[in-house]
Amino acid sequence: MPIFALVDANNFYASCEKLFDPMISGKPVVVLSNNDGVVVSRSAEARAMGVPMGVAWHQLRERAKREGIIAFSSNYALYADMSNRVVEVLSQFSPDIEVYSIDESFLELSGFPEEYSGRLAEYGQQIRQRVARWLGLAVCVGIGTTKTLAKLANHCAKKALAGQDGVCDFTVMSERDLSELFGKIEVGEVWGVGRKITARLEEMHIRTVRDLRDADAETLRSRFSVVLERTIQELRGVSCLDMEELAPANKQIMSSRSFGQYVYELPALQEAVSSYIAKAAEKLRAQQSVAGAVQVYIRTSPFNPKEPQYQKSVTVPLPEHTSDTRELTGYALGVLNSIYRPGFAYQKAGVMLSELQPKHVRQGSLFTDSEGAARSGTLMSTMDSINRKFGRGAMQLLAAGTGKSWQMRRGNLSPAYTTSWDELATVLAK
Amino acid sequence: MKDAPKHALPLGVDKVSAGFPSPAADYEDNRLDINDYLVRNPVATFFFPVQGDSMQGAEIFDGDILVVDRSVEPAHGHIVVAFVSGERLVKRLHKRDGRVALVAENPKYPTIDVTEAMEVVVWGVVVGKFKRVPA
Repeated sequence: MPIFALVDANNFYASCEKLFDPMISGKPVVVLSNNDGVVVSRSAEARAMGVPMGVAWHQLRERAKREGIIAFSSNYALYADMSNRVVEVLSQFSPDIEVYSIDESFLELSGFPEEYSGRLAEYGQQIRQRVARWLGLAVCVGIGTTKTLAKLANHCAKKALAGQDGVCDFTVMSERDLSELFGKIEVGEVWGVGRKITARLEEMHIRTVRDLRDADAETLRSRFSVVLERTIQELRGVSCLDMEELAPANKQIMSSRSFGQYVYELPALQEAVSSYIAKAAEKLRAQQSVAGAVQVYIRTSPFNPKEPQYQKSVTVPLPEHTSDTRELTGYALGVLNSIYRPGFAYQKAGVMLSELQPKHVRQGSLFTDSEGAARSGTLMSTMDSINRKFGRGAMQLLAAGTGKSWQMRRGNLSPAYTTSWDELATVLAK
Repeated sequence: MKDAPKHALPLGVDKVSAGFPSPAADYEDNRLDINDYLVRNPVATFFFPVQGDSMQGAEIFDGDILVVDRSVEPAHGHIVVAFVSGERLVKRLHKRDGRVALVAENPKYPTIDVTEAMEVVVWGVVVGKFKRVPA
């Protein structure tokens, strides 16, 4: 029988900021999305003050000033590096790991060390302690016999509904205890059950996790989808979702080009990267997929040894899978800005979209805004059909270049503490 | 740093040759990498430049870059990076007979006695340092 653990970092972006900045310890901190749009991460203090997730920064700004809430722009370089470090530490606990998002990974634990037989919660505590000590980040661990149960156990660990000290193991709980627990959790907390489904389930008087688990799977399949039926099976302990191994090579879309002449300035690189993203995203949508990570690379010419050489490539996992050119461009430009160094003759730039998934299996997360996603879908398909009709580039984002330089709004960006020699945090010998 | 450049990775692929093997072949794997020397556990290692002269006695000088390993359990006598009252400091950790203190290695600077009421986080243990020299 498979056993899955879902390890999830608490308040990941805000925690990364706190790790390196002693000035903000104990203070309410929020991290804003691309272009300083909305709150995407809150420290425990900000959460306790009732700052909602997803609130627009322009609506929060006054209150933040009044109540001392500190806002950071998204520091992709930092979060990506810390995320990669977390994954590296987790890999020491299981060879079978699926990076689900920037702050969540599934581990397959059926081959866990013999001495932990029946004591997986202890193993979970070890995971927690090692990540905390080595990386200064708090994680919660949920353990179950299916991925859906592991995810739910993680929710219980995080909210202290069950388990202990941030670890919750469903596999050692009795049928009765589980039923009682599931009767207290709203159905919307189940992985893949979004707002719309929750509302429709409500009409059928399915309100709790237990209601859903005990519902008639056949009926729900005909009224909803095979996906929901699978969710029900998973809640009953029948594992339907396997670990997704590393994406095969064809599950990536690349777009890159060598420049006709050397490029020195950031705005020109920004235009290039934006146009590659536009191209790659169009391909992505054509194959009905969404991407989970964006890589950007830039390099000087290796055949021009007289010039100083520089090359850098950074991959950023996205908080939410997307095929929206605007979102992808935002992330790509964030990466580009963090890897660009002045004073080099750049000869090539490229982007790669990876962690591709078919659009329909996309799982909802906390930030999923399904209406927004639908609107974005319409806009993007309009854009694609205009471009098919009038030639690529007929309709494009402003960022992709109209000769004007384009800057991301990142008002309060912390240093790239771990990825740039020029931005390391100083310690005082005083 | 995790992705610090490694130099010249020999692949260990020897061409089969009819003559004598190159006497150098046995030594191909031995080129030194400074990462191996300074960094014990890359995933838990972070770098911090030093500003100030309070750790001169421990041969830590202004401008040095510290190698800080969070996977090392802080113990009495370790040099540590600590967060104290909103500042990142480098000090020697004193932890004996129920007394915890952060000690400078320069008589000009006072010892910080750590009390329950203080907000002190020992962030990581210093395991090395490095610096470039102008040339």
